[in-house]
Amino acid sequence: MKDIKIKVNDLSLYYGEKKALNEITMDIPANKVTALIGPSGCGKSTFLRCINRMNDLMPSVSITGKMLVEGVDIYDRNVDVVNIRKKIGMVFQKSNPFPKSIYENVAYGPRINGIKDKTQLDEIVETSLRQAAIWDELKDRLDDSALGLSGGQQQRLCIGRTLAVSPDIILMDEPASALDPISTSKIEELIHQLKEQYTIIIVTHNMQQAARTSDHTAFFYMGELIEMGKTNSIFTKPVQKQTEDYITGRFG
Amino acid sequence: MASYFEIELDKLKSIIEKIGKLAESQVSESVKMLLQEPEVAEGKSIKKTENKIDKLDIKIDEICQSIFALQQPVASDLRFIMSAMQISNEIERIGDLSISIVKRSKNIKEKHDLIVKFNIADVARQVELITVKTNNCFITRDGNTIGEIFVLNKEIRNNCEDAIHDIINEMKVNSKAVVSGTNLVIILKHLERISEHCTNIAEYVYFMVNAKIIKHDKFDNLRSED
Repeated sequence: MKDIKIKVNDLSLYYGEKKALNEITMDIPANKVTALIGPSGCGKSTFLRCINRMNDLMPSVSITGKMLVEGVDIYDRNVDVVNIRKKIGMVFQKSNPFPKSIYENVAYGPRINGIKDKTQLDEIVETSLRQAAIWDELKDRLDDSALGLSGGQQQRLCIGRTLAVSPDIILMDEPASALDPISTSKIEELIHQLKEQYTIIIVTHNMQQAARTSDHTAFFYMGELIEMGKTNSIFTKPVQKQTEDYITGRFG
Repeated sequence: MASYFEIELDKLKSIIEKIGKLAESQVSESVKMLLQEPEVAEGKSIKKTENKIDKLDIKIDEICQSIFALQQPVASDLRFIMSAMQISNEIERIGDLSISIVKRSKNIKEKHDLIVKFNIADVARQVELITVKTNNCFITRDGNTIGEIFVLNKEIRNNCEDAIHDIINEMKVNSKAVVSGTNLVIILKHLERISEHCTNIAEYVYFMVNAKIIKHDKFDNLRSED
């Protein structure tokens, strides 16, 4: 794989005594979509949250191994976690816009990063919402409350909000699981467009979504990375029997 | 308990086995007609079987379409369903060719003499054998049988070519042999095609089992890889 964005070496994660991730080693390529699939409790979301150190927020968590983002170990003591999260944005299962206007939702990140100039903020808001494929729908109602938008629009607004702080990597945790098919297809189309500029890692339970949107797929089971490969190969000729059983719905 | 999807897949498998058996009987019947004298030949049951094959062919298409639309199969399931559609198509062609053999063989005078002279019975029996092997290969998904089919197909092709060559030479010197000879040449071409369809089926079985497409590749490359 050329242009590795994230290199994971022997990464293990413990919730107290319980080992939730077991010596994960994988390379995540730049400007590609990598899907993480596996049954509930397999560790895929836990792994996703390791990438921007979201698990730090849980007191009982301990981590061993290395997570190198562009060659820098993000678990190194000298690394500023705020900078990591600026660089690595995240979109969650449930859209979570701030109870503010559409404009303020997007301008919030850049503003706390020190951008005060109104023209510059306007530009960022427009660019981010355009990239999130929602500008045309929202451009005439930027002062309306974000909470009045539909679920699909809220989720695209949240993606726009993530893009506003110019991340390199976008983590998506079931970004379309609560959306109708039309909104889902908009999000999936958006993922395709965004990968030109960003490295995207998506956790999904929807196998067809993983197949449609990703370039590479990693299958997790009971905290282990069972198999990772090109999505086309994983869904047509998986190497491991566990992967075959899972994607064909014959698991367990 | 088997899931709804698994039940559908089993149904598809059993229909293909059934249509395969029907094609096997078609070939066997047409070979029988070919090797008998015209006055003995009847060939009515072959038409009835053909109708059954056509109906099952449509049924297979319908089941595959429904599985694609409703189940979005992947991996081995996807390969099985893709192969099922192709295999049913090949089988349907085998049925058509068998009927054509029966029709042609009715128009051959002094058939027995020609069949003996040009060694037609041997190649006809080989074609019967390859259809049986092909059915078994789908049912058992056995790699060895796939290899045997490729080898047998090559032998059939060579034997057909030799027989056609001899028949053409006979027609050059004996103008009375032209009508029967032409019919025999066409029959040999049909037998050769049946053998090719069987080989294609074996290739789909190989794809189903090994996730590797070997169309247009045949046994030589396959063997060198092993």
